[in-house]
Amino acid sequence: MTVTIETQNLTRIFGDFVAVDKLNLSINSGEIFGLLGPNAAGKSTTIRLLAGILRPNSGEASILGFNLFTQTELIKQRIGYVAQQFSLYPDLTVFENIMFYAGLYGVDNQNRLHELLDLYDLIQFKNKNAGLLSGGYKRRLAIACATTHDPELLFLDEPTAGIDPVTRKELWDLFYSLSTNGKTLFVTTHYMEEAERCNRLAFLSHGKLVAQGTPIEIRGSLKDRRIYSSDIPHDPVLTTALMKSPGIQLVNQFGSELRIITDTSVSPEQLQYLIAENYKIPFKLQAVTPSIEDAFILLTSNGEKQ
Amino acid sequence: MKLILALIRKEFIHLRRDPRLLGFIIVMPIILTTLFGIALKLEPDNVKMAYVDKDPSFFSNLIKTNIWSEGYFDLYEVADVEDIRNEIRLGHARAGLYIPKDFSAELIENNQPSVFLYIDGTMPSLATAMDNNSSAITDEAVTTDMYFSDPDGPAIVIAQDPFNLEVETLFNPDKIETWFFLPGVVGILIMQVALILTSTTVVREREGNTLEQLLVSPMMRSQFIIGKIIPYVIISLIDFYAILGFSWMVFDLPEPNSHAVLFLLAVTYLAALISMGLAISTISQTQQQAIFISIFVLIPSILLSGFIFPVEAMPSYIQPVAYIIPFTYFVEIIRGILLKGNDLIELMPYFLALCAFAVFFTVFSIFRFRKTLS
Repeated sequence: MTVTIETQNLTRIFGDFVAVDKLNLSINSGEIFGLLGPNAAGKSTTIRLLAGILRPNSGEASILGFNLFTQTELIKQRIGYVAQQFSLYPDLTVFENIMFYAGLYGVDNQNRLHELLDLYDLIQFKNKNAGLLSGGYKRRLAIACATTHDPELLFLDEPTAGIDPVTRKELWDLFYSLSTNGKTLFVTTHYMEEAERCNRLAFLSHGKLVAQGTPIEIRGSLKDRRIYSSDIPHDPVLTTALMKSPGIQLVNQFGSELRIITDTSVSPEQLQYLIAENYKIPFKLQAVTPSIEDAFILLTSNGEKQ
Repeated sequence: MKLILALIRKEFIHLRRDPRLLGFIIVMPIILTTLFGIALKLEPDNVKMAYVDKDPSFFSNLIKTNIWSEGYFDLYEVADVEDIRNEIRLGHARAGLYIPKDFSAELIENNQPSVFLYIDGTMPSLATAMDNNSSAITDEAVTTDMYFSDPDGPAIVIAQDPFNLEVETLFNPDKIETWFFLPGVVGILIMQVALILTSTTVVREREGNTLEQLLVSPMMRSQFIIGKIIPYVIISLIDFYAILGFSWMVFDLPEPNSHAVLFLLAVTYLAALISMGLAISTISQTQQQAIFISIFVLIPSILLSGFIFPVEAMPSYIQPVAYIIPFTYFVEIIRGILLKGNDLIELMPYFLALCAFAVFFTVFSIFRFRKTLS
């Protein structure tokens, strides 16, 4: 398997804020790679660095076998980039937008343009102003515009943010079809269920890489921890008491589910006792397999108690 | 009331968050007020006047030194009447004075000799000022002096009106009002269109996030800038001919000797304006700022370009400002082509100046336009 993106100690500083801190990423060709992290973790900065529109302060990177800093223009021919915000011309029609971006990449094959309209289900809106499309179709159009030149590598910055679940699934189906055609996709997201959809992923927290691997490997990083689920609704007294106790690493409320992560020094019986001490209503407690979200929250909070 | 207060407070916060705009609002009017306060006056001075004195004498000197008030004209000598016309035609002089041979002899004989005054009829402020003052050359200062005789010559007595002043307005003999201003107005209107259109074009891409999408493409920055210049040159060229065509039809503005020369110079002028607009766009952070800078450029362009007041009549330390305004050159070009019948060779200095502007602002924009975000 060839490596599409490789970075060494990639760093970008804004003033005294380190947005991306000595990042070492490795992305294989043909995979959908997910970059996860809370807001302001440095996801967009990373993607802009890799797309060549932001200069790093230090570090090295190679994209598709080219040096990102000396062969930027060669890379630009071969990559596509979809920004987080809507970045098309709202007063141009769907087709005019596609035609314009095709022109920028020297694509003049009309069949290709119609193929894109087809692929992204945009035929019906061909002559509609891009600004009038719904959120989901705006994303489709943005992806269509970013792929007129059939790039080998596609960067998608939060492509599904603010999109309803049905449309999100449709977009992911599109990503899969691109991926099976041999394209490499670099996607940022903060939707946990989307993390599971990626071939490999990385967690970013405060500009630092905290984990990198397949979803299974990421979940496996919690193997020296115990994860419990209980049916206790939100109870501030209990939460505070639990977090003060040694060995308890994370207490996380999901509606009426309380998830607790402990290290191996705490036995299930001890936890049972600890809860019962602070919570007088009968409850269920069971050990569960870790989810990506457990790993995400634990890793991005630097293993500290929340 | 609380609601209105909330709105008012929010608007002030917006202003405070854009310190550059705040700077424009306060600093710009102060700079312009200072500039205009110094530079603008209706009575010109130091206006270049070419003269021919075929009768150097006590009397001709009296006329040359007293022609209107002191300092009104800056006189320099040329060989012949034809040179006077030519100097005015080329814009080197705005007025001319011809004192014929035998002037003093005729004067002594009380034959009321003539003195000839030539005025550039394409300079509005000058022509009207001359109109108001044309009798002043025979004003008391001169005529009273003439009652006294030449101290080296014999004593004589001179009649009430010792000489005639023959004024000839060149290039606009009938002093048609529309000819004074219309050619320049065409240049101003097109400057306004070109500057406002282009100064917002790059910053609009930035505000609309489309710039980011352009930056990831293989487009080079020179391609981007040239791709921005050409369409606006075409649009403003069409606009230019629409305005000019309308002026030809409705206001009987004269047509040029050569339409090809006019076209070439118009394209050069527009390229200078549009590259200047783009340069403004690359240094602006918001469309609002871009429009403010454009207006900051537009107003002095109108008032300091020689469109209303001759540049040489402004204080010498203001004149450099006039020479960094493209319109200063175009106003000479358009008056020269339409009213004076100048050809390309005669307008070459102005043409080259506009070329220099176009090249400078294009290169500036290319270098100023970054291919990366910051």
